[in-house]
This record gives sequence, C-alpha cells and structure tokens, in this order.
Amino acid sequence: MGTKVRPIEKFASAVGKCSVESAVYGKCIVADYNNVRKDKCLTEFLKFKDCYMAAYRKR
Amino acid sequence: MKTISIRAFIPPPVLRRRCLDQRRFYAVQAPGTPAVEIFNSRTKWMQRERAAADTDGSRKVDYLRDEVASRLSERLLDISRHFPKVLDFGANACNIARVLTQPNPAPEATSTKDEPIASRIGHLVCADESPTLLHRDADLPFNSSISLSREVLTSAETLPYDGNTFDAVLSSLSMHWINDLPSVLAQINHVLKPDCPFMGVMLGGDTLYELRTSLQLADLDRRGGVSTHTSPLADVRDVGGLLQRAGFQLLTVDVDDIVIDYPDSFALMQDIQAMGESNAVLGREASGIQRDVLAAADSIYRQLHGNEDGSVPATFRLIYMIGWKHAPTQAKPLQRGSGMVSIKDILEGGKSGNFENCTSA
Repeated sequence: MGTKVRPIEKFASAVGKCSVESAVYGKCIVADYNNVRKDKCLTEFLKFKDCYMAAYRKR
Repeated sequence: MKTISIRAFIPPPVLRRRCLDQRRFYAVQAPGTPAVEIFNSRTKWMQRERAAADTDGSRKVDYLRDEVASRLSERLLDISRHFPKVLDFGANACNIARVLTQPNPAPEATSTKDEPIASRIGHLVCADESPTLLHRDADLPFNSSISLSREVLTSAETLPYDGNTFDAVLSSLSMHWINDLPSVLAQINHVLKPDCPFMGVMLGGDTLYELRTSLQLADLDRRGGVSTHTSPLADVRDVGGLLQRAGFQLLTVDVDDIVIDYPDSFALMQDIQAMGESNAVLGREASGIQRDVLAAADSIYRQLHGNEDGSVPATFRLIYMIGWKHAPTQAKPLQRGSGMVSIKDILEGGKSGNFENCTSA
C-alpha cells in the first residue's frame, strides 16, 4: 500500500460491496418514510451491517 | 341638589412625583452584534483552511465554484460598462477572476468580439477570510492577465472599505455562511458607488435536499431523533426582502438548479468536505456522523433519490441576485399598469394581434 487510504474511503467501499442488503434496508425505510421511528428496520439493518463489517475486515 | 366634590378624598399623587425624579429611558435595541448566530465562524474558517491546505484535492472540487462563477460572470456582459474597481467579496480561490480571464463565453451575443470579460474591469480586489484558500492559485498564469489584488479579511462579515469605493461588487458561493446577512448586504451597499451594481450568488432553498432527507431518515431509524447535518439556507422569497432592506434598487432575483451525479453519498460528502463546505452549524455534533447512520443514509439515498444507473444526484440551488445602489439619476421602474404590451403574448409567440391593437390604440 503506497498511498494512504482514509478509513472513511475503506468504509465506503465496504458499504458499496453490499448493494443487495443495502437495497433491502433502503426499501424497508422508503416503503413508508412518513412513519419512521427508532429501529423500524432493525433486522434489515443488522443484516446490512454484518455484510459491510465483514467486507471492511476482509481488506 | 348640591354636588359634593370628592377631590379632597383622592390621595395626592406621590407615586407620580417619584417617577419623575428618576431618569427614564426609551426602549432601544441593544447595541453591538445581534444575538442571531447560526454558524460557527471559527469552525468554518478552520474547515476552509484545512481544505485549501490540500492544494490538489481542493482544485479537484473546483467544478461547482468555476461553473457558478462563469454563470455569474455572464451576467456582467449584460451591463455595457467599464468597471474601474471591482470587489469580489468572499472570493474563495478567486474563481471569478480566473473565469473572467477566459475568452468571452457568449461572443455572438455582444458585438465586442471574444475578448475576455476581464478587459472591462480595471482592477479586481479579491477579499476572503481564509488566507490559504485565497492564495491557493496565486502562482497560476491567469493572475498576470488581470489586474488583481488579494486581501485577507479579519472577519467574513465585515467589509473594511470606505463608502463609495467600488464600481461593482461580486460575490460567488460564500454568502450562505454569513450569520448576519442584512448587515453584510447593507455594508456592500455602502461600499458601492451610486448607481453601481451588486451581483451575488449563494446556495439556498432546496440545496442538497436529497442528502438532508436521507440523513434525517437514517438518523430517525438508527438513533430515534434528528440532528442538524446540513445548514439552514435562505429561500428565494427571503432574498428579495433582504436586498430591499439593505437599500438596493431595481432588484433581480432568479434561481438556477445544478444537479450533479455522484457514485455514492460518500463521494458527495467527501467533495463537500474538500470544498471546505462541511457542516458548521452551531451545536452540531463534534463527533461527526456515526458510521451506522452514514451507511443507512447511503442506502436510503439510493432508494429514495438514486438514478437508474446506480449513481446518486445532488441538487445545488443557486440564487442569483442583482441590486443597484440608489442614485437620483437612475432609471426607475415604470408606473404600475402603464405597460402597453403583454409579455405573455411575446413569449408565447405568434399571437401578435394584441400587440398591434395596443400600439394603434
């Protein structure tokens, strides 16, 4: 690694690798975005988070 | 029947006399800076300094400022005048100066060949609060083709110039960080010579509404509340009133949307940071946005606003304003109802019947 990668860039690319889980979570929120409350889509988010955390650790 | 005077029973007005002994004051507005403060100017200064310290990174994100500066400069062409002394207030990296030295963007619209607009300007003063950003491009070739001086301001909200100094004041993409806009506009009006224009452009209204809404939804779902991640901005309707309050005449306010596509919301936020335009609202979270919220906002952004090809759009709403300093000899708007031609007929074309009737009448 010659060039320094900012942690947030690494994070962004990890999130980018989980487009399927991201879409499921996004659809869950957007389906009824006038009634969003805390942890409305918790299960979807946790799946998404598991995916991008795994991708983040891999590199 | 005899009426009895009750005057003897009324106690003498002791209280009143006591009041008159004391000094009384009129209710006045408290002097000094007003209490309205939205942005942390120290934070903003630091963000812009840091952003400009990375010269290459900062130059890469000049696309928005250059485009807006060129759109603003085009408006200068509409005024057929020579401007001996011009102020660029909130100059960023002197983007206006660079655009002015480029060839005339609309050579066919004016008869004056394609010489750069800079030939119409005697001397340009670029003033900005951030010295690093201001001097970033000081050694580029465009500096030699325009008479230019850079001045670092001690505060983004004060203009240290005498009244009636400038033949025009320009301002591009910096006024959305000013706390006390009425005061700054009044100062601009003060430094202008009579019958001279102020032309400004600032971000306003629905700028970055996609980012704003995604972050709000992500914040709600992940944390159960909303925090300020984007600035409050002036609306088009406010700007007319602000200019009028500052004493400008013959106002023109118009709106222009620039929509830029980004690969993802992280790229958008990185570019905003590299521009030095990150959030500087007072009372923002010092820790920044949590990663959970960032990831959630990215997927909501894609679902709610995303394009077919997977990119995400970001809207920048630009509010252009033109105001003229009052002068007795200035052209004035005509009386209401004195118009003879309906502009609707002209713009829609073809229906010239109404127009002929009016002129023959």
